[in-house]
Amino acid sequence: MNTAALKDIAFALVRYRVLLILAVTFSVASIWVPKFLSTGTLSLSLDRAATMGLLAVGLTVVLLAGQLDLSGGAILAISGITAIGLQDTMGQIPAAFVGVLVGVTAGALNAFLVVLLRINSLVATLASMLFIRGLAHFITESRPVSGIDPFFGLAVSRPIEGTITGRSLLFLVTIFALHIWFTRTVSGRNMFAVGSNIVSATASGVKSRTYLAGSFIFSGAMAGIAGVISSLSVNTGSPVFGESIVLTAIAAVVIGGTRLEGGRASALGTLGGVLTLGALTTAMEFQNIPAYIQQIVAGLILLLLILLDQVVSSRNGRDVTLRALIGRLKTPPQPHQKTERKHKSNEK
Amino acid sequence: MTKVKPSGSGMAPRVVVQSRRSNLGGWIGLPAGVLLLVVVGTLLSDKFLSISNLTNVLISMSIVGLIVVGMTFVFISRGLADLSVPATVGIGGILVLGLQPSLGSLIAGIVGVLAASVAGLVNGVLIGWFKVNPVIATLAVGSIVLGAAQAFVGGVIVYGTDSETQDLINSRILGGIPVIVIIFLTVALLGHILLSRTAIGRYTYAVGSNPSASEASAAPVKFTRAFAFLLTGALGGFAGVILGLSLQTARPIMGIGYEFDAITAVVVGGVSLLGGVGSIPRAMGGLLFVQLLTNIMVLQGVPSPVQGIAKGAMIAGAVALDVYLRRRGGAQ
Repeated sequence: MNTAALKDIAFALVRYRVLLILAVTFSVASIWVPKFLSTGTLSLSLDRAATMGLLAVGLTVVLLAGQLDLSGGAILAISGITAIGLQDTMGQIPAAFVGVLVGVTAGALNAFLVVLLRINSLVATLASMLFIRGLAHFITESRPVSGIDPFFGLAVSRPIEGTITGRSLLFLVTIFALHIWFTRTVSGRNMFAVGSNIVSATASGVKSRTYLAGSFIFSGAMAGIAGVISSLSVNTGSPVFGESIVLTAIAAVVIGGTRLEGGRASALGTLGGVLTLGALTTAMEFQNIPAYIQQIVAGLILLLLILLDQVVSSRNGRDVTLRALIGRLKTPPQPHQKTERKHKSNEK
Repeated sequence: MTKVKPSGSGMAPRVVVQSRRSNLGGWIGLPAGVLLLVVVGTLLSDKFLSISNLTNVLISMSIVGLIVVGMTFVFISRGLADLSVPATVGIGGILVLGLQPSLGSLIAGIVGVLAASVAGLVNGVLIGWFKVNPVIATLAVGSIVLGAAQAFVGGVIVYGTDSETQDLINSRILGGIPVIVIIFLTVALLGHILLSRTAIGRYTYAVGSNPSASEASAAPVKFTRAFAFLLTGALGGFAGVILGLSLQTARPIMGIGYEFDAITAVVVGGVSLLGGVGSIPRAMGGLLFVQLLTNIMVLQGVPSPVQGIAKGAMIAGAVALDVYLRRRGGAQ
């Protein structure tokens, strides 16, 4: 084992870490949980993670832009309250759309704070989180609201044809749509450019601030959809929904290989991150492992992955940007790795 | 580390010069805001300007005030924010009450602070040496530490039995000053001295205003970054210990919300998230402003949700003003 070979292994580990961690989680889960790999259990664990996954889709874009959005949980709560609370005055389906619209509006508020007022996104979305959460408590007087028809929401939480639930399907569809947008469209690539270097993106004629604003509005819309769907499924809107969901969603996105510094993201990676956390939760709940142990394990996985990422990528500063721009589009960027190896053998 | 002493004595100019205008605005704006609140509060309620009410304000800002001291270091050194505060507060409170029967309150308290400091140290090493984004590092460490704290007690509420220490902490000395306030003011004063009169304080400003220049000037950039998080971890643990001892009850989630309260205070105080600017007195001014505003709203019977709305609007307003006062060449 020479250093070059070790380096290759490290590269492979980092590149496919989502797959690796997912495989490990699934193997552990299938040992612990009888019939874990059956359709029923897999569908259940996907369903458990679907709401968080919808948030993660929006966060992937925000994180790609190098920003943060902490307000997702509050938006989720207020959208759900809107979708449930307006049911008896305007009907169920229009109310659901208004709920999503509330999410879009909240995203626009974030975009206004970050892009126009130039407030750091961490603080701006913290402020809007407090503001929206307060608003949710205010309009409901801190009481949960119930919908008119408990059976209406079954459409999103009941397995279609005994396989996959409506919201899981929606989550998968948005993930693949995001993947296609990231990899096959000009605007998706512009988004990567804005995230990697906003100054040079602007200089190259990309409307960076529009993209930045768009990422927050998209994230707000996804949080709105997640809120409407999760509230419909339990026929309740509550101002305390989604208190800790954003941090989990950020963890899922980061496990999926997206960097908080921006410029690198992968839709399929996010899918992997969400599935990992979903499988982990399901497996541990089957084993009666308390929630706090799950927290420790999730934290350790997160820590391990970012450390691995940091250690390997910091030694190859050039490779990271290359991977960010090209590597995610076509699976293995072998040439660069080969030149690395040649360098090593020349030295010997 | 001890080689570079802060040059000059007394009120030497800060490392950052370009923000003098905003410093001026901050120095005038905040006391004026606090004064305005006092006037408004006095006009609105005759209970406001009483010793007992103002003492209550001081008590309620003491616990979060301890964390604000650490968070100020994090902000000034451009470390974004420490989101592991709920975990360090939680582990401090749980360890002091959990170990109290076997070790006694004092030793248990020290163990609590040390455990939280270890969490802060891990944060610091990850952020300083491994250059991990502070948000994600403190998030992961916080998740692990909070889980560990819950595992330690089996996820339940811990009750303390040491009513003597409880009475001591909740008592008032020197003509009615609560002990908890004295602890807070002492820590704030020590933090102020550390930040304004020592080498590590100087480095904190230097690293926050220009990391590359600090690196080139052989300032210990990594250590300084790490130190801010170590300090916040230790103070979070200390806040948890004090909170646990004064209530003799500790829940794992007791620290949730303190991170946002501390960030709010620091931001309202005009300490910039971009680093390099701010001071402990300003952060304390921000804390006082938030607490007075909350107190006035409580006295007026404003429902607590509206207080949340006001807090959110206040953060956005304060930072927007800060950014407006000094546009750093379009820096985000």
